[in-house]
Order: sequence, then structure tokens, then C-alpha cells
Amino acid sequence: MSASNASSPIGTSPSRGGGLARRALREAGIGLALLAMVVFFAAVAPDFTTHENVANILTQITINLILATGMTFAILIGGIDLSVGAVMALCAVVAGTVLKLDSLSDPVAIALGIAASLAVGMACGACNGFVSSFWRVPSFIVTLGMLNVARGAALEVTNARTIYDFPDSFTAFGTASVLGVPVMFVLALLLLGAGWVVLTRTVFGRMIYAIGNNEEAVRLSGHRPFVFKVLAFTVTGLCVGIAALVYMTRLTIANPILGIGFELNAIAAVIIGGTSLSGGRGSLVGTLLGAAIIGVLANGLILMGVTDFVRQIITGLVIIGAVILDSYRARLAARGGA
Amino acid sequence: MDRRSFLAACAAAGTLAAAPGFALAQGTGAQTGRKPVVGLVMKSLANEFFKDMQEGAVRHVQERGDLTLIPLGIQSETDIDGQIAAVENLITRKVDAIVIAPADSRALLSPVVRAIHAGIKVVNIDVAFDPASMKKHGVDIVFVGPDNRAGARMSGDVLAKALGRGGKVVIIEGNPGAENGVQRKLGYTDAISAGGLTLVDSRTAHWETEEANTVFSNMLTAHHDIQGVMSANDSMTLGVVKAIDAAGRSGQIKVVSFDNIPAIQPLLKDGKVLATVDQFGAQLAGDGIDNAMKEIAGQTLTGWIRTPLKLVTA
Repeated sequence: MSASNASSPIGTSPSRGGGLARRALREAGIGLALLAMVVFFAAVAPDFTTHENVANILTQITINLILATGMTFAILIGGIDLSVGAVMALCAVVAGTVLKLDSLSDPVAIALGIAASLAVGMACGACNGFVSSFWRVPSFIVTLGMLNVARGAALEVTNARTIYDFPDSFTAFGTASVLGVPVMFVLALLLLGAGWVVLTRTVFGRMIYAIGNNEEAVRLSGHRPFVFKVLAFTVTGLCVGIAALVYMTRLTIANPILGIGFELNAIAAVIIGGTSLSGGRGSLVGTLLGAAIIGVLANGLILMGVTDFVRQIITGLVIIGAVILDSYRARLAARGGA
Repeated sequence: MDRRSFLAACAAAGTLAAAPGFALAQGTGAQTGRKPVVGLVMKSLANEFFKDMQEGAVRHVQERGDLTLIPLGIQSETDIDGQIAAVENLITRKVDAIVIAPADSRALLSPVVRAIHAGIKVVNIDVAFDPASMKKHGVDIVFVGPDNRAGARMSGDVLAKALGRGGKVVIIEGNPGAENGVQRKLGYTDAISAGGLTLVDSRTAHWETEEANTVFSNMLTAHHDIQGVMSANDSMTLGVVKAIDAAGRSGQIKVVSFDNIPAIQPLLKDGKVLATVDQFGAQLAGDGIDNAMKEIAGQTLTGWIRTPLKLVTA
């Protein structure tokens, strides 16, 4: 990361001055927090470390991990995407509608359904990116608008009804596992790995960090942030399309009110993972750890027998704690890099 | 993590999302004169159950032909402000009667009492207004609706019978604070004590499929010996059944449910769900409208007019 950044034509801002070691240290800190959590739950809840439970946790964090991977692109470039939950519902109901077309054979319907979900996700993402960068409006408000558009469209497409009874060959993915690891989690990891390569080893990735740090500097140095912003949000949308398909295979339904509030979980995973909410700083490794922390917390607290309301309070405190930590990290980085 | 918790945190987003509160005004208004105008204030039309109820009401009114209906919906189940605005809107339009499925059994009482003082007849459907609050306001609004507690009891009894005394069960609850959710949980606990079952754990999944799937998977890890599940609605049951399948316990853990949505039918047929309860939601608003028309005609109705419930088994 550091090396590719040094070779970037874009000027590095102070917060980007941190070396590889410091950045690795930051992720190690989040990793340690996760480890401490795991050790604690393993000690107080004997079932926590069983193979079944670990597989459960991996299944349970998969959708959020995929959404958070996409969200990391949006946040790194200095934006945010509040529409992912609603767009996910739209992707699912469109794909579900295609899957239920009687005139298609199963393989064709599945292929078209997958294509439809990815296309809808990417189109909504591209739209978010286009509107927010063409008219230079905050993505917060643009994606809030998209949230309503997508949710309304999903309800309109289905007339508020649940779509169910998909081909078995489609839903089989939702329960498949390799060597005890859910295949859907493997898919999420592969996606995260691909995203990591893009962010750290390509010009596109470097531009995302650069724009997140100082969009004006990028513009002044003769680059066009516009293209990269649209692309970044399209990546977010692609991830949403994939997450919708995973949802459909796991729960074998598609309904227009699914995914309510999922955007907030995805944002939480990204921020807990140490990515700065103001953009330009963070990594997908952190996002993986952040999603794992959220999943482990939700699982472990139930295994401990903590009540719903207390569970909610603890989860909220963890997020606040993560943001406080982030502010310290930012200050340290600014001091160290100056 | 509980995603609802974040919704509250994102208040700005919430307010904006709720603001449009899509109104489906179809009526020609009071000014057409002859036919009485009835406003129907629904909960979220994004919910299949209320969508069915609204469509049923519109069909029913077409069949009756002697009134004009103004159906109003809100965007989310907890959009109390949106409903208050809908009631105030109907007061302004001087409708003859309001049929309302309140999003909150206390908060909606004030605007409804204003409507009554404005001479508008009010019929309460789906979830009853809080009796103590009504007393305080000096009103006794007629409630037309099912007995959620009795319905859950019927469904729970099926599970009690299947498991026998000592069977270990969990409850998957609806939204904490939602009156029908509270009543269903009470009905399930009635069945548990009557059938001598043991309640191992009880948690909310906020009516949602995915959350129910996650929450129940985790409950199953914590309590391997769960033999039965009582779920407060069918959407959550879909998630619970998937969790049972994923754990390789199909057929061993029995499930009972509530609502009777179309998506639950295959599971009833396969025996994965033992029973659910149909409260004939599509007819509920129609029943409310019929009673509103009686009030407009001069009758005074009070108390609880119970609507039918049916236990649905395979």
C-alpha cells in the first residue's frame, strides 16, 4: 500500500504519510479487539467455539461483509451510500421476478436472474455516483433519495408481496459449504480480496484514496475525479447486487422490505474497521475485521444469554468506542506524518 | 447486530424518509355530497398484511357502493407522526367517519379524540386503543378486530400437544412495544403454561426474516435441546425454518406461527410448520367500514367486536 502510494502522482496529504508499519499496527489493534472478544466469549459461552457456531457466524456476517466491502469504496472516496439496503431489496425482487418467469428453463432463469441483480445494483450505484459528482451534491443526500426511490420501486414491482419458491439449483448455494466453511463466505472473501487488489495495486485504487484525501488537489493535478467517483459507487452497487443474490439463496425468498437498515450495519463495519468517515484513510482488511466484530458480538451476546435490549446498548457502545479510537488514530497519524 | 438500533441513530434520515408518507387519496371528497365519506387510516402499506387489508377494503367499498373511501397509508410501521398527520388531514376534509389501525395505541388517541369532538365517527381496527388512555380522554371507541392473544394460544396449543409436557420451546417475538406482538407473546405463554412446556428463551427478531434466521441460529447454538418454536409472524418463521434446515434438524424441531401468508403454505404442506393463524386481514378493514356506516346511520357502538380467527394446519 505504502509503496504504491509513494509512486502516486498525486501529492500525499499528512494523514497518508503513515508508513506500512503504522498502518499494519492500526489493523492489528482492531484484530486484537476481535481476538479479545473471541477469547472472552469462548470463556463464558462453551458453545461459542464449536464448529457449528463458527460456521453460523461466518454465514451471518457474509451479507454485511459484502455490503461493507462496497461501502468501503464509497467511504474511502469521501462519500457514503445510504441506499444499499433498499437497492438490495430492489435487486432481489427484480431477480426474483425473473427467476419466477414460467417461460424460462431453470438454468436460463438463474443466469438472467443473477445478471438482473448485478445490473440493477450497478445501475443504482452508477446513478448515485453520477448525480453526486456531476452536480457536486453530497452523496449522503443523493443516496438518501435513492434509498426512497429503490424502496418504492421494489414495492411497486412486487405490489408489496413476498416472492418465494425459487429453483432448488439456485438456492442450493445458500447452504453449500467447503470443508465446513460456508461457500457464501468464501465468495465474500474472494470479493474482498479482489477489492483489496483494486484498492492497493491499481491506478483506480490510488485515485480513490487520493480523491478521498483531497479532491481539489486531484482536480488541480489534471485528473478528473468525476469518472472515478462514478466507478467507485458502481463498485458499491455491484456488491449490493451480489449481496441480494446471497440473501435470496440463504433465505429462499425475496421481499420488498428486506434489508431495512442494512446500510447502517455496513457503515458500522467499515468505521469499526478503522476507515475514516471523512475518506482517504482505511482498508478492506479493517472492514473484514469490523464485520467480524459485529457478527461475533451479536452471536456471543445471545450465547451468553444477554437480553435483547442490553445487547442493543452494548452494540451501540462498541460503535461509539470505535469512533473514539478512530479520532485518536487520526490525531496520531497527523502528528506522525507531518 | 440489531439494525433497528441504528435507525434511531440516523434520525435525520428517518425523518426525511418518512416525510412523504404516500397518501393514496382516491375519494372525490366530501363535497360530492350524498354518499358518506369514510377515511381509512392504515399502517405501512409496505407490509403485505396491510396491503391485503387495504385492497380488501377498496373491493368491499366497491361492492357496497354507498360510500366514498379515502384510504391513507404511512411508510413504516412505526411512523406515528405520519398517522397523526393523516388523521388531521381527514378532520380538515370533514369526513363522516374514520376507520383507523393505530400505529400506537396511545399516541394516536389525541388526534382521534379531536376527530370525535369534530363530530366524526371513529372505528378502531387491528390493534385496540389503550383502555386506560381512552378513559382519561372520556371516550369509548369501538374496536373491531381479532383477539391476537387467543389466536396465538390456539397456535401454541398445537405445539404443546405435539411436544407433550416438559417440551422445551423458544418464542420469536415481534417488535417490542407493538401491541399485536405483545398480545401474541402473551397467547404463546398461555399455551406454554397450560401445556406444561418449558420456555428456554424469548427474543425479538423485529418481524424480519433475516434477523429471525440469525437470532434463531444463535439461540439454537446456546440451547441445543430446543424442541419447538413459537414465532409471532410468518415472515420470521421463514427465517426460523431455514435455520433449522441449515442445522440439519429438519423435522426434529417443530414450529408454529401466525398470519397465514402465501409464502408459508409450502412449509405447512411439508410439515415444517405445524400451524399458523389466519385473522382474515383482507376482511378486517371492510368489517371496520361496515361498523362505521352503522355509526353514521345513528347507532352507537362501544366495546370489542371480535372478528374471526382460524387455525390453519397442514
